[in-house]
Amino acid sequence: MRLALRGGLLLDGSGDRGAHDLYVKDGVIEGTDLGGAVDQEVDADGMTVTPAFLDLHAHLRDPGQETKEDLASGLAAAAAGGFGTVVSMANTVPVVDDPGLVADLVARAARVPGARLRPAAALSKGLRGEELTDMAALAAAGAVMVTDDGVPVADARLFRSACHYAAELGLVVQTHSEDPSLRDDGVMNEGEVSQRLGLPGNPVEAEAVMLFRDGEIARMTGARVHLAHVSSARGLGVGRWLKASGAPVTLEVTPHHLTLTDEALAGYDPLFKVAPPLRRQADVEALRAGLLDGSVDAIGTDHAPHTLAEKQQDMLSAPFGIANLEVSFPLLHTRLVAAGLLPLERLLWHLQDGPAAVMGWPAPRLTPGAPADVTVLDLKTATAVVGSRFLSKAKHSPWEGEAFTGWPVATLVRGEVAYRRVEAAA
Amino acid sequence: MIGAAAAHVPPTPPPALARRHRHLLDFEGWPTEDLVALLDTADVMAQVLTRPVKRVPALQGFTVATLFFEESTRTRLSFERAARAQSADVMSFSASSSSLTKGESLRDTLRTIEQLQADLYVVRHRAAGVPHQLARWTDGAVVNAGDGRHAHPTQALLDAYALRTALAEAGLPAEDRTRPFAGRRLVIVGDVEHSRVARSNASLFTRLGGEVVLTGPAGLLPPQLGAQPGVHVSPDLDAAVKGADAVMALRLQRERMGSSRLPSLAEYVHRYQVRQRHLELAAPHARFMHPGPMNRDVEVATDVADGPRSLVESQVAAGVPVRMAVLYTLLVGKR
Repeated sequence: MRLALRGGLLLDGSGDRGAHDLYVKDGVIEGTDLGGAVDQEVDADGMTVTPAFLDLHAHLRDPGQETKEDLASGLAAAAAGGFGTVVSMANTVPVVDDPGLVADLVARAARVPGARLRPAAALSKGLRGEELTDMAALAAAGAVMVTDDGVPVADARLFRSACHYAAELGLVVQTHSEDPSLRDDGVMNEGEVSQRLGLPGNPVEAEAVMLFRDGEIARMTGARVHLAHVSSARGLGVGRWLKASGAPVTLEVTPHHLTLTDEALAGYDPLFKVAPPLRRQADVEALRAGLLDGSVDAIGTDHAPHTLAEKQQDMLSAPFGIANLEVSFPLLHTRLVAAGLLPLERLLWHLQDGPAAVMGWPAPRLTPGAPADVTVLDLKTATAVVGSRFLSKAKHSPWEGEAFTGWPVATLVRGEVAYRRVEAAA
Repeated sequence: MIGAAAAHVPPTPPPALARRHRHLLDFEGWPTEDLVALLDTADVMAQVLTRPVKRVPALQGFTVATLFFEESTRTRLSFERAARAQSADVMSFSASSSSLTKGESLRDTLRTIEQLQADLYVVRHRAAGVPHQLARWTDGAVVNAGDGRHAHPTQALLDAYALRTALAEAGLPAEDRTRPFAGRRLVIVGDVEHSRVARSNASLFTRLGGEVVLTGPAGLLPPQLGAQPGVHVSPDLDAAVKGADAVMALRLQRERMGSSRLPSLAEYVHRYQVRQRHLELAAPHARFMHPGPMNRDVEVATDVADGPRSLVESQVAAGVPVRMAVLYTLLVGKR
C-alpha cells in the first residue's frame, strides 16, 4: 500500500519544510517528491500537512456506555479531529481495572478504522479509591497510563502507594486534581457568576490544593504525574511552581478551558457543564500564557460525550462533560492562532511533541521511517460547526453554528486514510 | 375609579409592558418602570379581591399550568387562586403525581405537558435555571415560582408590594413613584447562600431604588453578592439594622444545623435571631418581614413575629394580587 499526499505544505516539529508530495508506504513515511506509482492519492494543495495529533485524555465510554460513545465512533471522531492517537479513560462500565478489559479494548480497536487507541487503566479498583489495581498486568495488557480520571483520588496514602508502584513500572499517572470535599456539590466555578445564577460553586482552591498534593506526592515517589485539565490561573501557578522546584509533573489544559468562561453558564445550558468548571477570563488568559511560555506540556481534549437527553436535564442532574474531539483543533486555531495570540507551531507542539514527551514516546515527524500518522488541515476556509455532522455519537456542541478555520480534511493512521472530509451539500 | 362597572373591565397595564416581556424568570431585562407598573397593577387586583364577587373575566380562555417539580402547596395555591380569580383555566402538575423519573429529560417532560396546551407555565424546581430552560423550549409564557437558590421573583414582588403599601400607610409614601424605595434600606438576615428569596429581593429592592444589606453567618454569606450595585454584605447584624426600614429574616433549614456549615442552633439563635432589640435599632417605622414558613424562636423571636411591626400577614395577603398582576401582564400581551 503506497499513498501520496500531493502538494501540501509540510510542517512538523522540526520546522516548515515547504510544499511537497509526501509519500507513505506500508504504514510509514517513505519520503518526499519520490514519484512512482501509488495506490491512492490525496490532494493537499493549499493545505497544511502535519503529524496527526495525540490526545492523552478522551472518554470513549466503551465498554458499557455505548449510547454515549463507543470505540468505533470515538476513534472515528478522533481521526476527524486530526488525532492519530487517543488515550481512552477508564471510567467506563465496568471500570477498566482488569487486564482482560484492557486486552479486549486493544483487540477491538485494532479492528475499527480511526485513530490508534492507547488505553489508560484505572489507578484504583472500580475507581473507588480503596485498593490499587494490578498495574503490572494492566501495563502488560497494553495500558499506557493509570488514572481514576473523573473521580479525584481522595485518599492521599493510596495515591502515594499508586505513585510508588507506577514509578517502579514506568507508567504515567494522570490525575483529576480536585479536592472532593471542597468541590462538594459544585456544578460551576464558584464566584460572582455562580452566586448570581444561584448554582452551587466549585472553587479554584479545590483544584489548587489538590494539584499541590498530587505534585508533592509525585516528588516524593518519583512517579511521572500528568496533571490533567488544569483550569485556573491559581492551578497553573501551582503547576509552574512544582515544575520549577523539580517535581516530575507535566501539565495539561483543555480546549474549552482555553476558550470559554463561566459566563457561558448564564443561559443555564448544561452543554457548558464540565469538570473542572469553566473559570474566569483571567484564568483563560493565564492558561493561554502557559501555552506560550511552555509551562503547559499538552493540550488534552477531555472529550466527554453524553447523550442529548442527558444534557437536557436540569443543571444539577445533567452530567459533566463536553464532546470536543472534532472541534478542538479548529476551535483553537481560530481563537488562538488566527486571532494572533499563539503561533501555529506552538499550538501544534502542544498536540504533537508535547503529549509525546509526557508519555515518553518519540516526537512525531514527517521524516522517512516515522509512523504514517498524518493529518491534512485546511487553515483558510471558515466553516460552521454542525453538531449533527459529528462522527461522535454526541452530536451537539457548545460551539454550534460558530465559524472556524483549521478543519482537518483528511487524516492518515498507519498509512491509511482514517478520515476524509465530505463537503456538505450547499 | 374602581366602581361597579369596573368589575367587568380588566385593569390595564401600560400596553408596552404587556408586549415587552414574555416570561418572568428573574428581574434581568425588567426596567424599573415595568416593575413599578406590576406593583401598580397588583394594587388594582387587590381592589378586585375586596369585592363580593372576587373574579374578573380578564383571562378567560387562557390556561395556566402549575409545574411543581418541588412541592410547595402555599405558592402553588396562591398562583392557582390568582389564575382562577381572572377566569383562567388551571392545570396542576407535581413531580410526585407524575411519571417523571430520573431518566426522562426535562425537555421530554415539557413535551408531554405541552400537549395539554397551556398558555403559561408556573414552574418550581430544585435546580436553578429550569424556568430558563423551559422558556427556551416552549412558545408558552414561563413564570418562575422558585428555582434552586437562584430566584423567586413573585415572592420578591409581593414583599415589595407589602412594604410599599405599609410605608404609604405609615405616612411615608415614595417621593418618587418611579423609585419607590429610594433612600430605604432592607436588611436580609440568615442563610443567604442557599436563599432564592434573598437573591430576588436584593435584585428587586435595588432596582426599585433601595439599598440592601445581606447579613448572616460568614459561611452562609457569599461576599460575591455584594458585587451588585446597592447590595452590601456584612456579617454584623447590629450594624446592619441601625436605621433600616425593614428587616427580613430568612427561613433556616434545619438540616444545615450541626452540619459542617454551622455549629449549633443555639449559636445561630444567639447571634442572628431577629429580636425586639433589633427593631429598636432600626427606623421608627421599620417592619419585620419573613417569606414563610417561619421557624419561631429560631430566626425570629415570637414577640417580633406576632408584634405590631410584623408585616408577615400582609406579605401572605399580597401573594394573590401580585401573582394576578404577573399572570395578567404576561397573558394579555398574547391576545
